[in-house]
Amino acid sequence: MAGSTQTSGLGFVGQSVKRVEDERFLIGKGQFVADVMPDGVLHAVFVRSPYPHATITSIDVSEAARHPGVARVFTGKALNEVTQPFVPLAPQPGSYTPIYHAMADEKARHIGDPVALVVAESRHIAEDAAELVVVDYDMLDGVGSIDRALATDAPQLWDRADGNTLSDATDTYGPVDEVFAAADRVVSITLDSHRQANQSMETRGTVVEVDGVTGLLTVHNTSQGPHVLKWAIAAQTVNQGRMKSLWGFVRNTSRRKAFFAAAKDFRKANKDDLKGQDNAGMKGQLKKDRSLLKYMGRMGLGLLATENFPTVTSVDIGGGFGAKGPIAREDIPVVVAAMSLGRSVQWIEDRVESLSDGGQAREERFHVDVAVNNDGTVKGLRVDALIDGGAYPAFPFGANLIGTLWKVYMPGPYHFEAFQLRSRIIATNKGRVVPYRGPWANETWMRERAIDAVAAELGMDPADLRSKNMMTQDNAPAAFITGPTIDETMSTRKTFDRALEMIDRDQLARDKADAEARNHRIGLGIASYHEAAPGPPNFADSISPGSGMLLKEDGRATIESDGRIVMYTSQVPHGQSHQTTYKQIVADEFGVAMEDVEVIWGNTDKSQFSFIGTGGSRGGPLGGGVMRATAREIRKQVDELAAEMLEADIEDVTIVDGNIHVSGTPAHGISYADVAAEAAKRASVTAGPVFDVDLKYEGVGNGGWSCATHVAIVDIDLDTGQVTIPRYLVVEDCGPIINPAIVDGQVRGGVAQGIGAVFYEKAFYDDDANLLTTTYMDYLIPTAMEIPEIEIEHLETLTEGENDFRGIGEGGMIGAPAALTNAVSDALGIQVTTQYLPPSTILELAGIITPD
Amino acid sequence: MSHSITFTINGEITTLDIEARRSLADVIREDIGPTGTHLGCEHGVCGACTILLDGQPARACLMLAVQADNATITTIEGLADGDKMHPIQKAMHEAMSFQCAFCTPGFLMSAVALLEENPNPTTDEIREELSGNLCRCTGYQSIIDGVETAVRLMSRGES
Amino acid sequence: MTLLAELGDDAKILAGGQSLLPVMALRLGTPPHIIDIGGLTELADITASPDGVTIGATVRHRTAETSDDIARHAPLVAAALPHVGHRAIRTRGTVLGSIAHADPAAEMPAVCLATGATMVTRSIDGERQIAAADFFEGYLTTVLHDNEILTHVRFPAWSATAGAAVVEISRRHGDYALVGLACTVDVADGEITSAALSFLGVSGTPVRVTKAEQSLAGKPPDDAAFAAAADIVTATLEPGGDVHATANYRRHIAGVLTRRGLAEAAARTGVPA
Repeated sequence: MAGSTQTSGLGFVGQSVKRVEDERFLIGKGQFVADVMPDGVLHAVFVRSPYPHATITSIDVSEAARHPGVARVFTGKALNEVTQPFVPLAPQPGSYTPIYHAMADEKARHIGDPVALVVAESRHIAEDAAELVVVDYDMLDGVGSIDRALATDAPQLWDRADGNTLSDATDTYGPVDEVFAAADRVVSITLDSHRQANQSMETRGTVVEVDGVTGLLTVHNTSQGPHVLKWAIAAQTVNQGRMKSLWGFVRNTSRRKAFFAAAKDFRKANKDDLKGQDNAGMKGQLKKDRSLLKYMGRMGLGLLATENFPTVTSVDIGGGFGAKGPIAREDIPVVVAAMSLGRSVQWIEDRVESLSDGGQAREERFHVDVAVNNDGTVKGLRVDALIDGGAYPAFPFGANLIGTLWKVYMPGPYHFEAFQLRSRIIATNKGRVVPYRGPWANETWMRERAIDAVAAELGMDPADLRSKNMMTQDNAPAAFITGPTIDETMSTRKTFDRALEMIDRDQLARDKADAEARNHRIGLGIASYHEAAPGPPNFADSISPGSGMLLKEDGRATIESDGRIVMYTSQVPHGQSHQTTYKQIVADEFGVAMEDVEVIWGNTDKSQFSFIGTGGSRGGPLGGGVMRATAREIRKQVDELAAEMLEADIEDVTIVDGNIHVSGTPAHGISYADVAAEAAKRASVTAGPVFDVDLKYEGVGNGGWSCATHVAIVDIDLDTGQVTIPRYLVVEDCGPIINPAIVDGQVRGGVAQGIGAVFYEKAFYDDDANLLTTTYMDYLIPTAMEIPEIEIEHLETLTEGENDFRGIGEGGMIGAPAALTNAVSDALGIQVTTQYLPPSTILELAGIITPD
Repeated sequence: MSHSITFTINGEITTLDIEARRSLADVIREDIGPTGTHLGCEHGVCGACTILLDGQPARACLMLAVQADNATITTIEGLADGDKMHPIQKAMHEAMSFQCAFCTPGFLMSAVALLEENPNPTTDEIREELSGNLCRCTGYQSIIDGVETAVRLMSRGES
Repeated sequence: MTLLAELGDDAKILAGGQSLLPVMALRLGTPPHIIDIGGLTELADITASPDGVTIGATVRHRTAETSDDIARHAPLVAAALPHVGHRAIRTRGTVLGSIAHADPAAEMPAVCLATGATMVTRSIDGERQIAAADFFEGYLTTVLHDNEILTHVRFPAWSATAGAAVVEISRRHGDYALVGLACTVDVADGEITSAALSFLGVSGTPVRVTKAEQSLAGKPPDDAAFAAAADIVTATLEPGGDVHATANYRRHIAGVLTRRGLAEAAARTGVPA
């Protein structure tokens, strides 16, 4: 539409516009969950199991309850009796998902499993009282590793599972057996990645406010998906009988009608996706545990009858990286406590709790076979992967996401003709697995490590092996063998070629020689990958047929009667600077200054529903895409009315700096306020929205692949095993960039987490599943001294599509562990097969010391 | 058992009766009000709770409030002069130093302390001095850039 | 003193709080009473005399770090101070607090052992003077009685021909050392007359490897002598392993640090830190 292309010329998109968020953050006026302190709020402290695996034989809370200042003490059993459990929403084929309540009542399944709840006037008193709760445990053997979990005599964590294997699925693409049989050789390697804790500087927390008069709940929380939390709270704390719920629903005419209308709409909008859905997973789950039907029935009916849903809100969140996507088990009991006491209650997770069950990830093992010809042509890839899933599956998603994404990504940018992946989730007595910045990231680590191992076996340079096998823009097939289509945004090869150009091989050879003279070793490592951000039209279907529904976003915007532009988003920023980038996009579309746009987020009463919220790098492509599409829609309405008012053709309407005028005559312009006032007059209103748009945005179909190549040069001191990183380079292509400084910050943050993962961070459980890293003195987050300057080179492959924004958030962490472990392998002349390389391990690999 | 303590915080004299075991961080946030001082670990490692005590950087989570009797405390809320931002705040905004900003208060106070003692630090000195503050979002480069920007602003007399 | 006598082990002394407060926050220790000695001005001094340098209980690391007297007359202390935590920790924490806390990975206890410092304690029963070699008993344990305060530490006079160095290996900058060495070496006429090798992080207390120290006597301060001492160190020490490093690693590092520390100390002989 002609009017829409005449924008401000201010051109915020593409500039490193300074952050709007800084206005409050830099003066200490952020509103994080711990800053919400309602008058008279009570403090909740959980009593937690000190044992990894135990039967709870008795709990005595009487002394604790008598402690002065204590409002109430709840046993786990009492809380579970009045709540519904966490249930799998979309069971995968080949999986069994244990159904569990928020609290542990019969068994404790990991250190930190919550067994009782103390609510008191202050946190000090609550902790004092917590020490008075007497719990009798009967210790069971702890399952502290995948090997222990799979041993025939291992204790079983969940009665209905197959031993401790919760999920076992195999996906095959192409003629795997033939390809392997025909290849010259097969290179095999087993790779182990260690458990990491998904740590942000702010822990999780919830403050549940109860309105004294209405009983309505406002839940302040750190959730990345507030709508999901709202529904979960409503569903799980619903407590009416089935018949009562059904009767309540039937009698409430307006709710009944609205429900059926919405259901019809939903079915119509998602017809194809719903048809494509594979129900094998649900059938498999029900075969092992029919209780799912009972709980879903209860919760479903309860929800239908529920009049008052809680409002969930988060203003500022101090980082999440995926850990704040799943629901904290603790949130449900805290809501129950608030409801039963009729008072506000808060729980702010402390760092010890965060390291125990705030969310863990990445403990995975890969048995990799690569079928390759002697000339270096890779032919086939076979992987047998195991995930150490911890004890409780995160809700609504956690470990169960990983394999589904792996199967699409694993072959990477190489011309494999066949690929097979078996992935299993194994239950152990450890903290939950949550999404962690590129939950699938280890597929890149595994693949790029294996590529280097193949190169070593063939006596080839790893860069040459990549050059030989990596798709180019010209020879890329129409689709990956795993399904998703390939378009011009699949530019991994471009990033790889550019990265190679930026490495001075001769200098590197000289540096290596110099290093040896002082008992150091220098090595170079490369890693290439792509990620769907959000991906081509059929990406969601490749993961799981019919899951495209989850990628849809709703757009909402209004222009108020005074001319204010208000944009609503389902995104929940926790560091991504969405407030700034969305204003950039929208201000450009409207031809106004950024201050003239308001962005509303994070409150379930105001923002639109989203199943995923913020995660999976949706912020840019989906969040931003829907912003732009929505802005354009509402701009059309403004242009139409303005054209009338200016007595001009709509194509001649131009808006620059908020001045709406006929192109060429800026002196005779009108303002948004003028147009809004006219609209108000015509509609006979004096306040409220005068223009509004509700948009269904199909994320699928726009925006494609984000690609990158990481290059790491490491310098190892062979006396001490310490590693420095003299050079780290990222060549990345995420399409057009909204705000370059913000993108750079995201890349660097991701790389820093990758450096942390390889050289500093390990969530240590011993074989009996005792957790040894419970404070920041043991779990080592890298400081400014450990993170080098990171060079970033941007390529910007553009497409013809209307929305080109592609995600960048996860990328840094996807490439870094691979590049770094490849560099260490190169430096030491061996093949590294683990991801955790502290100084002790480096010296062991170098043959200088032996393991204890 | 409660003790009466008096200290100056961000220019205002405050007298409180507080329990001995309460940390300075908790008392600032809960009793006095400013919540800009953040708690990231409560065992003295992350530095998010860094404040200035008699001009020197200190971790408010590692102090009992009673130890601050007669002290002068500055928190992030005390850096700006009314509407006028402290050069470090201006600089960090310029350099787009932060993302989720939970670590920000600690970094600002540490940077202020550094520049007060050493107005012209090298990049290495900045890096070392800030190594007592953890950040999970940025990879630190933008924060170091922010301090270097502050050095330039302050040497040009902009305050 | 009286308070301490009454309360005994129900009380903990508070000066800097940088070791005590994390313990309390994590509820690893919940002392019913805390005696804050921060206001005791008579313990706030650094005093230099021909007998050496005496540091009082409330002297903060930061103050010691900027003290000319310590730089000149107790260079091993001066060398250790920058390794102690981060600036905000050094602003509050005290030298003697670190010594009384007796974390085997802390620098100050090892420095006391290396220099043969004397601990001066006071209680209602009087004053004691305890040699560093007799002061540290085990992990976080000293010979201090429940009713006793460590009031001063006296570092003996520093030899004009000696050099000092503190070297450590830690996982991250500012962390507790995996292994560290506080070392001194005295050289006259091109020969080592005495040396001290005091290790931290290798045992429940700081440890001196006297056999290695003795091996250096009479030798020129060169790499061959240092390497020989290092071999004795790695053959003697029996460190433990934990989540941060294996035992074999620590043992290896002790040897590496021996060579590095001695070289650094030898280069500084006769030069103030």
